[in-house]
Amino acid sequence: MSDSFDIDAEFIRKLADLLSETGLGEIEYEDGGKRIRVARPGVAAAPAIAIPAAAAEAPSAPATAPATDAAHPGAVSAPMVGTIYLAQTPGDPPLVKTGDTVSEGQTLMLIEAMKTFNEVKAPRGGKVSSIAVSNGQPVEYGELLAIIE
Amino acid sequence: MFEKVLIANRGEIALRIHRACKEMGISTVAVHSTADSYAMHVRLADESVCIGPPPAKDSYLNIPALLSAATVTGADAIHPGYGFLSENARFARIVEEHGLAFIGPTADSIATMGDKVAAKDAMKAAGVPVVPGSDGAIQTVEDAEKVAGEIGYPVIVKAAAGGGGRGMKVVESAAGIADALKMARTEAGTAFGDDTVYIEKYLSRPRHVEVQVLADGQGNAVHLFERDCSLQRSHQKVLEEAPCPVLDDAARKRIGTICADAARKMNYRSAGTFEFLYEDGEFYFIEMNTRVQVEHPITEMICDVDIVAEMIRIAAGEKLSIRQDDIVLNGHAFECRINAEDPVTFTPSPGLVAEYHAPGGLGVRVDSALYAGFSIPPYYDSLVAKLIVHGRTRDEARMRLKRALDEMAVSGVSTTIPLHQRLVDDPSFAAADYDIHWLERFVGTS
Repeated sequence: MSDSFDIDAEFIRKLADLLSETGLGEIEYEDGGKRIRVARPGVAAAPAIAIPAAAAEAPSAPATAPATDAAHPGAVSAPMVGTIYLAQTPGDPPLVKTGDTVSEGQTLMLIEAMKTFNEVKAPRGGKVSSIAVSNGQPVEYGELLAIIE
Repeated sequence: MFEKVLIANRGEIALRIHRACKEMGISTVAVHSTADSYAMHVRLADESVCIGPPPAKDSYLNIPALLSAATVTGADAIHPGYGFLSENARFARIVEEHGLAFIGPTADSIATMGDKVAAKDAMKAAGVPVVPGSDGAIQTVEDAEKVAGEIGYPVIVKAAAGGGGRGMKVVESAAGIADALKMARTEAGTAFGDDTVYIEKYLSRPRHVEVQVLADGQGNAVHLFERDCSLQRSHQKVLEEAPCPVLDDAARKRIGTICADAARKMNYRSAGTFEFLYEDGEFYFIEMNTRVQVEHPITEMICDVDIVAEMIRIAAGEKLSIRQDDIVLNGHAFECRINAEDPVTFTPSPGLVAEYHAPGGLGVRVDSALYAGFSIPPYYDSLVAKLIVHGRTRDEARMRLKRALDEMAVSGVSTTIPLHQRLVDDPSFAAADYDIHWLERFVGTS
């Protein structure tokens, strides 16, 4: 870095106090390219819950990753369990592609359950910035399907 | 044998089914609402599928979602547990129409036993003693007065589509029959969508005694002795024991044989329970439960039979692996249903379980999906743990139950453990001197 970076001992003490008060393991502070990280020694990121090993390996364990993406303001999530179909009929081009502009209520894809096809409609207008599923993929309730920005 | 079973339930029974499957080398699929994403059985199952938002009607009762989850995971059978869709004949039928096995009775058995009037008729035909009552539905006040007069007051008006303690009105004398009939019909129509009612003799101090059967739908049936479930509050069982402490071996054998014979006659399949009121040495059939029951573990403890595993074998087309002579009554067992409720007011107490310590030791079994850090959702029933103990005698089991209750620790939410601790110390309980009204008096609500 080109600037000199004076250590503000008072500030670091403040962060350390905050750590103790709140019981946090570490605090990271950034301001205009300068970053300070204060951590308690020996604090492992141990969860309060002991996770059984098998559950950690479960292939479709309740996914926290989709939950984060599904929290995206433009996220479109699966309204039900089923199988995704990206086109109206097999062989047809997909209903929408990444980059397409869609209007509210436009059908984005289909979810099939028990031989019934249900349309997934765009909850708002915008640009399809990503499609998170592929044709024929099974999805669970709440799973991320696409993002409309 | 099945390769993969979808567990269409939640909580402790879902974990119970998962355990039986794993012991048989069967893969499990846990379905769950968003409220149960971190449930124990979801974490342990081989696969999990989120099927909907918290409300049961959108998740655990959502037939398309369940079938869809079964299809996408390639499950070959569904175990419905208890409650939810376990006694929904339509669900059983749809499952089988989709080429999956329903781990339970046939849709026809469920339908017949779900209609309490039809169930009684079926029992009478099978030689099972029934409560004296109207032979079928009551249409008019005149009919009601006539039947009630014949049976003798007090009588009880019951909804044909009810069961599980709901849709019932006691009538002490002829003066109240017209109003009771009208009220019962209205309530039944609202609660069950069917206002058909019937009338039965009202027994004033009966015990609730039920017989467990297993049948393979291929002409074989056995009974696994009986349970005493008299300790009830608002028609919900609180503490059960097996065998019934006031039956002698002759009465036990007699009623058990009657039930096994009836199951055989009806060509019943899977696990089932015949519920009776027992008073003055007489048994009176009230209803049959065509599912695995909450209190099945106490029967498992005294018979050494894995009821859920047997249900799975039967559903896979196997003949019953046990014969009546193989089933030996061994000792005594109790089960405490521990609810996440205030032990005095019974107000529900969902929320984060901060600490959880289950008791252990010889003869102690805890069927629960709780763990420290789990958040009990507010959307479902409040049963969170079953503490089951076994002893060589009733007194040994009772002392063990007391000891185990004193060890059990759950913090962060209220539980009914203190209620069970009071019960286990009560002299009437110790003497097995109680009937189906006793617990209501004990908690001071009658």
